Amino acid sequence: MNEMVSAHLIGLSSDMAIMSLLALSAYLLLLVGKVSFGQQAFFGLGAYASGVMSAMFHAPLMFALAFGMGVGALCSWLVALPTMSLSGLNYAVATLAFGEMARVALSLWHWQIDLGDGLVGPAAIDGFRDIRWLHENDVSPVQYFAITVFVLVCILILMLRSERTRLGVALRMTGQDETLAATQGIDVGRLRLFIAAVAGALAALGGGLYAHRTTYIEPAIFDPMLGVHAVGYALLGGIGTALGPLVGVLFDLGLLDATHWFSGWRMVIFGGLVALFLRWRPRGFLDERLVHRFGSIFGSKGYS
Amino acid sequence: MMPVLQLVMDGLMDGGAYALIGLGLSLTFGQLRRLNLAYGATAMLASYLGAAIYATQRVPVWLVAVTVIAAATLIGWYVEWMCFARSGQEPDHGGASAIGAPIAGADGREVVALASSFAIWMQLEQLAVNLLPRHLNAFPSLAAQQDWLIDSGFGELMVRTDRLLLALLAAALILGLGAWLERSRTGLSWRASADHRVAAHLVGMPVARLQTAAFAAGCALSGLAAFAVLSLDGQVTPMFGMWVLLKGLVAAMLGGLGSVRGVLWGGLLLGVIEAFAQALLGAQGREFATYALLFLILVVPWKPRESLVLSAGLRG
Amino acid sequence: MRLSGPLIWAQTIMLEISDLATSYGKIEALRGVTLSARSGTVTCLLGPNGAGKSTLMLTLAGILKPLRGSVKFEGEELVGCEPAKIVERGMALVPENRLVFPGLTVRENLLAGAYRRRDMAGIRSDIDAMFGRFPRLKERVEQLAGTLSGGEQQMLAVARALMSRPRLLLMDEPSVGLAPLVVAEIFSIIEQLHREGVSLFVVEQNAHMALKVAQHFYLMEQGRVSFSGSPGELADDTVIQRAYLGQQRAEPRLPA
Repeated sequence: MNEMVSAHLIGLSSDMAIMSLLALSAYLLLLVGKVSFGQQAFFGLGAYASGVMSAMFHAPLMFALAFGMGVGALCSWLVALPTMSLSGLNYAVATLAFGEMARVALSLWHWQIDLGDGLVGPAAIDGFRDIRWLHENDVSPVQYFAITVFVLVCILILMLRSERTRLGVALRMTGQDETLAATQGIDVGRLRLFIAAVAGALAALGGGLYAHRTTYIEPAIFDPMLGVHAVGYALLGGIGTALGPLVGVLFDLGLLDATHWFSGWRMVIFGGLVALFLRWRPRGFLDERLVHRFGSIFGSKGYS
Repeated sequence: MMPVLQLVMDGLMDGGAYALIGLGLSLTFGQLRRLNLAYGATAMLASYLGAAIYATQRVPVWLVAVTVIAAATLIGWYVEWMCFARSGQEPDHGGASAIGAPIAGADGREVVALASSFAIWMQLEQLAVNLLPRHLNAFPSLAAQQDWLIDSGFGELMVRTDRLLLALLAAALILGLGAWLERSRTGLSWRASADHRVAAHLVGMPVARLQTAAFAAGCALSGLAAFAVLSLDGQVTPMFGMWVLLKGLVAAMLGGLGSVRGVLWGGLLLGVIEAFAQALLGAQGREFATYALLFLILVVPWKPRESLVLSAGLRG
Repeated sequence: MRLSGPLIWAQTIMLEISDLATSYGKIEALRGVTLSARSGTVTCLLGPNGAGKSTLMLTLAGILKPLRGSVKFEGEELVGCEPAKIVERGMALVPENRLVFPGLTVRENLLAGAYRRRDMAGIRSDIDAMFGRFPRLKERVEQLAGTLSGGEQQMLAVARALMSRPRLLLMDEPSVGLAPLVVAEIFSIIEQLHREGVSLFVVEQNAHMALKVAQHFYLMEQGRVSFSGSPGELADDTVIQRAYLGQQRAEPRLPA
């Protein structure tokens, strides 16, 4: 019984870490003032790309993940080229459209090779099975959980450190007022493209980790609701710090979903809270003010 | 030639439905300059309520229709209250963003409303699925049994009478609504308050009431459209919400968000494009074409951009 | 015949504002304004930028809700009323920056101005009368108001306000942003309306022109009325200085 519980917890925690990466991806774009409903596309592209590398070409996991990140970064950058300069509403709808384009494209993509044991590879709408790198290399769920968390922690440290650098400040400035940011010498266009690429890489990393954890992915998973949830996590948890989206994920997956106390009401509660927060506390739970106050408690200077 | 004509005919039939679906969305956007992402979920929950009543009570079909329309209107009132109701004393400045606003930029407030509406979308979708957990749910069917065979100069064209009726009804409703908007006193007040809120106040128009009425009308129309479409299918699934939102959005944007007559052309055009995409690229290709079309509308710097993209007010 | 001097006091007080205070966002723009306007007259409100003049007009029109104070129009308390009621009672505002309906045609703008009226025949004849008064608008009757020039938009804004047959016409800086020739045209329209018996309450930065048409004027500085009198009472240039620059650089104030 204990084993089952801890196995369940390990699985849940891995899922939360993976979703956190997707939420961070949405968060980065929120920082520069853009709501993206398309991050699930890069999550899916990363999943497929790294799955192809590890299942069809027997690449090691790290390489497969890195490859996925590259694909995610490139695609996100390409999409950002024509869309970043659109106004907020247009951008949101354009990313929604792109997300669906990616999903449908994946459900059309059929590429299988015979590796002796049968066919392996994306099978269009039937999905991509047998991404069994973890099993083939004897990586236990606990070990994989450790890997996933390690990756997340590294990303977080990187992001938290960057908050105080010129890059971090420039990002927030661009999000608040891009005209003002431009007068301060920030190349808003290039910055946003860069952030889009990073966001795409993060989402793809999450997708790659996801694909290997579940061993089976299909295009239907990467639907707009997934991307909508990612934005929701960031908005609810707070965009004052990279830890904010994690709070959102913890709340939804950890509290609402895992405890089963709210079964059947999870999205009602989560959605309702997001809407209320947008009205009364628009920067989310961990907003800049709270982060600043917390920071000064610990004696650090914050970024004012 | 024959297959092409048949494709065009099929496309126009489907297009009529798309136009009807997109009408409410275009109307509310034109009136409030805010995009309601909960639009599809509103129609879905209302339809689910209709289906639930139909399943338990075996009520007459017209009562299901009334239920769906009324439910859509009530749910829409909730959505408006949560996401789009305006508060505060300052007249619109259309540019200033407050410190602490989640999204900056000229349309920051519109994006926040958009974000709120997706949160409500989540709520409504879950409520619908709670109500009827199965994937396939029966809906009263008004599908016609016969098809017409029209003898065109190039062979026999097959026309489904029920779909034709729906398309004609959509066209009549849209053109009627458009004429009403352009010619009546109340229609003028809707357009004026969409065009310039403060000026509308100055001439004594009850702006808040007008906007609520327009929003409610948009939602009622979504209920009507949902009922019409579903009654031809005879069933409703959890995918319906997303379908309504996306088809409606593309149809409305093709014709120019906020233009009532535009959504008719937009829907018809979408239907025809989809028909050809399906013939050339299959069912998935058709889906891809729809989204690619939406993407291109937004991204390519068309001239005149005004008529295609999220900007102008309400027009008939 | 232009009313001036002692004859003014024979006219009844049409608009009476007492201790009106309004905040605009976080700024208390009006800090207790007291003034009145008599029927049949042109009353002008002068003052530098930021004095609160536009806030006052928006409060009178019902767009902004005051914190305290009273606004009596023809004896009826209108503070806190909806703009619709204020238009119905006979007060119409020609706002700063015109605020025409850019997406509606000239004709539709005029129809909108008559929104609270139901007499279709009267409305139609009024529209014809407006075209008589503003022939330039007649030339552009089906044109979108957003495409008109600044001066034409100003005339449209005045015509639109007149469509509700107001007894008191409020005008907020009608000359701002317009060429001198157009400004002269606007002020001749103001004089003509006065001759026809319309009461006017005009906020202006162009003190020079305003003092030519007004029978009574107020000076507003920092949210309060600081001077009240007729054009002859104070040397023109002192008033103009104070109107543009505020207290600091003006001559010592005469008793009000």
